[in-house]
Amino acid sequence: MAQVQLKNVVKKYGAVGVVHAINLDIAEGEFVVLVGPSGCGKSTTLRMVAGLEDISGGEVIIGDRVVNDLPPRERNLAMVFQNYALYPHMTVRENLGFSLKIAKRPQAEIDRAVDEAAGILSLTPLLDRKPGALSGGQRQRVAMGRAIVRHPDVFLFDEPLSNLDAKLRTQMRVEIKKLHQRVGSTVIYVTHDQIEAMTLADRIVIMRDGHIVQVGTPLEVFENPVNTFVATFIGSPPMNLLEGVIRAGQVVLADGTAIPQPPGLNVAEGRKVQLGIRADNIMPEGHALPPTAHMAFVEMPVILTEPLGTETLLYATLSGTEMQAKMLNPRPVSAGERMRFGIALDKCHLFDAETGNSLRG
Amino acid sequence: MTRNRLPPWLVLLLPAVIIILAVVAIPLVLSLYSSFTPYHLTRPDTLWKWTGSFNYIKAATDPNFWKAFGRTVLLLTIALNAEMLLGLGLALMVSKVTHGQRALRTAMMFPMMFSPILVGFQFKFIFNDNVGLVNNALQSLGLTDVAIPWLVDGNLAMFAIIFAEVWTSTSVFAILILAGLFALPQDPLEAAKVDGCTPWQSFRFVTLPFLMPFIYIAMAIRSLDVARAYDIVQVMTNGGPARRTELLWTLIGRTGYVDARMGYANAMGYIAILLSIGFTVYFFLKLQTARRELGMGD
Amino acid sequence: MATASQHRIRKRALKVAHFAGLFLAMSIICLPGLWVVLNSFRPTVEIMAKPPVWIPESLSLDHYRAMFGGAGEGGVPVLTYFRNSLIISVTSTVIALLVGMAGGYAFARYRFKGKGVMFVALMASRAVPGVALSLPLFIIFGRTGIIDTHFGLILVYVAMNVPFTIWLIDGFFRQVPKELAEAAEIDGCTRWQAFWRVEFPVARSGIASAGIFAFLTSWNEYALASQLTRSATSKTMPVGLLDFTSQFTLNWGGMCALAVLMIIPALVLTFLVQKHLIAGLTFGGVKG
Ligand SMILES: Nc1ncnc2c1ncn2[C@@H]1O[C@H](COP(=O)(O)OP(=O)(O)OP(=O)(O)O)[C@@H](O)[C@H]1O
Ligand SMILES: [Mg+2]
Repeated sequence: MAQVQLKNVVKKYGAVGVVHAINLDIAEGEFVVLVGPSGCGKSTTLRMVAGLEDISGGEVIIGDRVVNDLPPRERNLAMVFQNYALYPHMTVRENLGFSLKIAKRPQAEIDRAVDEAAGILSLTPLLDRKPGALSGGQRQRVAMGRAIVRHPDVFLFDEPLSNLDAKLRTQMRVEIKKLHQRVGSTVIYVTHDQIEAMTLADRIVIMRDGHIVQVGTPLEVFENPVNTFVATFIGSPPMNLLEGVIRAGQVVLADGTAIPQPPGLNVAEGRKVQLGIRADNIMPEGHALPPTAHMAFVEMPVILTEPLGTETLLYATLSGTEMQAKMLNPRPVSAGERMRFGIALDKCHLFDAETGNSLRG
Repeated sequence: MTRNRLPPWLVLLLPAVIIILAVVAIPLVLSLYSSFTPYHLTRPDTLWKWTGSFNYIKAATDPNFWKAFGRTVLLLTIALNAEMLLGLGLALMVSKVTHGQRALRTAMMFPMMFSPILVGFQFKFIFNDNVGLVNNALQSLGLTDVAIPWLVDGNLAMFAIIFAEVWTSTSVFAILILAGLFALPQDPLEAAKVDGCTPWQSFRFVTLPFLMPFIYIAMAIRSLDVARAYDIVQVMTNGGPARRTELLWTLIGRTGYVDARMGYANAMGYIAILLSIGFTVYFFLKLQTARRELGMGD
Repeated sequence: MATASQHRIRKRALKVAHFAGLFLAMSIICLPGLWVVLNSFRPTVEIMAKPPVWIPESLSLDHYRAMFGGAGEGGVPVLTYFRNSLIISVTSTVIALLVGMAGGYAFARYRFKGKGVMFVALMASRAVPGVALSLPLFIIFGRTGIIDTHFGLILVYVAMNVPFTIWLIDGFFRQVPKELAEAAEIDGCTRWQAFWRVEFPVARSGIASAGIFAFLTSWNEYALASQLTRSATSKTMPVGLLDFTSQFTLNWGGMCALAVLMIIPALVLTFLVQKHLIAGLTFGGVKG
């Protein structure tokens, strides 16, 4: 177990920078998830921690050692790759025991560690097969097993579940969480699936274009996104954003609709803003949560419905923008029907229209 | 921390580069130089006499050289095309076989194991006008009662040489095309069937385009080795009779080793080298294009 | 409109044509070789008989006896040639594989400027015809005194085989995901260990097929060997075949016996790896 620190870490390919001076402190035993859109530098960051990629600038510290110049084998970490990278010419047993064998541990110890890992991950009946004869989920478990036999200081996961089907993914997510609770190692986990990020993380690190945009617990980033990027990236469906101008304490949209400013905010008259409303906070009247003190009401035509069982997702337009709203205790709604929606203003966000930065605190 | 080291890829490639420089590039520089001199093996001092482009002009104005050049190009064109078509046919036939295909595939590779020099002797023997297998067979079957002068008549000799050349190299094409046929995805073929293609049309518009990269690899592999025909020709006819099967390579060999006129031979050699390299580069470029089209490239 | 019975007849006819075509093709492929083998067991008189003897009347090992006896058939030192061939082919194949593995790995795993040009240049070096190369090599080897030595020929064959070996091995290493070596490094291997314990075993069959091609090329090469070897100290079997010829005669029987001796190792090797051979050619070429 060890803490991991990134200090002004930079990665350049030639003149092109892909990671720009990022700083991150990860505590011992913490589960940190890196999220961000494709190509934002998550894998690169992870691979610099692993030692698979040269560090162009700054320092990576594991435990209390600067590891910039240490090869991967001297960093005592384990990594699970997106495509698993199982050794195809070795059986599951050999795959699991490979790192210990390289470390020249006695055979008895290797056997014990392999059996233990196989037990945890229910791989025991598969030990003598080669990876070619395993299903996707089984391969994934072998890849995890290979990581846990070593009792590493740090676990690195690079989108380990992205090759699995939805059901297996949910199941493996639980396994990973259990595993972390059991072994307690520090974990850095890369994904671009925000549900995985929300459910697994102690802290989420949101990256874009090689920069860290926000770091915080899942609830923090969900409730207080620092900008529209985070707001639309975290949470499903993505937050609705409405362009408007502040006039007399209200957000006035292009078509003239006026919605009061969320409480506790005081934005200068005439400023261009974006009003952020999550689907959970805009609901049709009569199919909503009990109203709160700060409510506003708008009328919108529904263009499409997506029944999800206990609730229905409604697509409607407001001031030319497509909005998504949730309907509780759903009833059939036909396209074109105009409905009155209540907005829970205290849960809404305001962002600067130009920079996209949050105007809250 | 970063010491000034050679990049790892260069270190890895260095042995290959050094050995090829030593065995191919340096000799080529030497031969390029000597091609501008009247170098004669038995008179070493001739190596220091510069005659400029004399040898090249001599080659360019020598009808024997141009005949050999034309014949070489003709031989390569006919042989490569024949190999490709026969290889395609063979591969298609073998791919349709259900039982004993493995055995057939192995037998198909048989000629690849033969040394070209051995192939030369073997066909010299088979086409021998007196006791050769071909004439013996034709006579025993009563198809002819004269001994056909296979290796004496110019045209027949060219035919015999091409036959031998095709015999050795068709299997390279057949094997690669067969591999392509195995890799051929079934869905487009089925879609073509449903769309109403005749078997010929599905072959022409689905199978063949898919096979093209495989054909280009075979061409590229063959182009690395086209001069193998030298061994065969040297044994079967050695350019004779009376130069009627003379190829660039036999002409070079004779001028260099028999007449010992190294300078002149090297000048002609350079032309042959450029011809071969041209073939190779052409097919490698083709191969890269074909790969890119199928999305298999870099 | 074709009726069902017409279709059936057509199908039957196609089947017969397919079988006949295949039979003809296979005969043409196999007969010349079998003819050589058969003749190696027949006395010279019978080979040369006019009218021809189709059904062999007597088979004997005379040619082989003479060949290994060394004295008979003009005293061709066949065993020495065999040994030379074996030493030269095996050594040059092993070296070419090592050099080719390094080069192929570089092409498969690293990006660098001028990679495409470098690759085609390497291939082009292989395309230089042996006879054109043999003239300058003959002069240089004569000067440096490595003409007519094993070393000289090994050197030449390594250079000849390296480009093709690089091509095939490059293709194979590209089939091996980069992550495998990375996983091995994280598991505690050095780069060197990661290569030998993970990447090499995974690409083994491709390397084997590259080895076969290198071996067959060296084993069968004639144009260069005929100029760069002079005596029994370094002559290889393809050159040795010419010992059975003299100005006006040819000892067919003896030559056939030596031919069989040449073919057998090639045949055995090819059988052993025939599956990899096809895979090697395709992977190396297409997918590379
Ligand atoms: N060898 C390289 N040379 C140049 N640029 C590279 C190289 N490798 C990666 N990049 C670039 O670096 C950026 C970050 O890549 P990285 O693999 O870290 O993205 P990622 O966040 O993991 O994305 P994904 O979710 O798709 O895996 C990308 O824009 C990529 O194009
Ligand atoms: Mg990634």
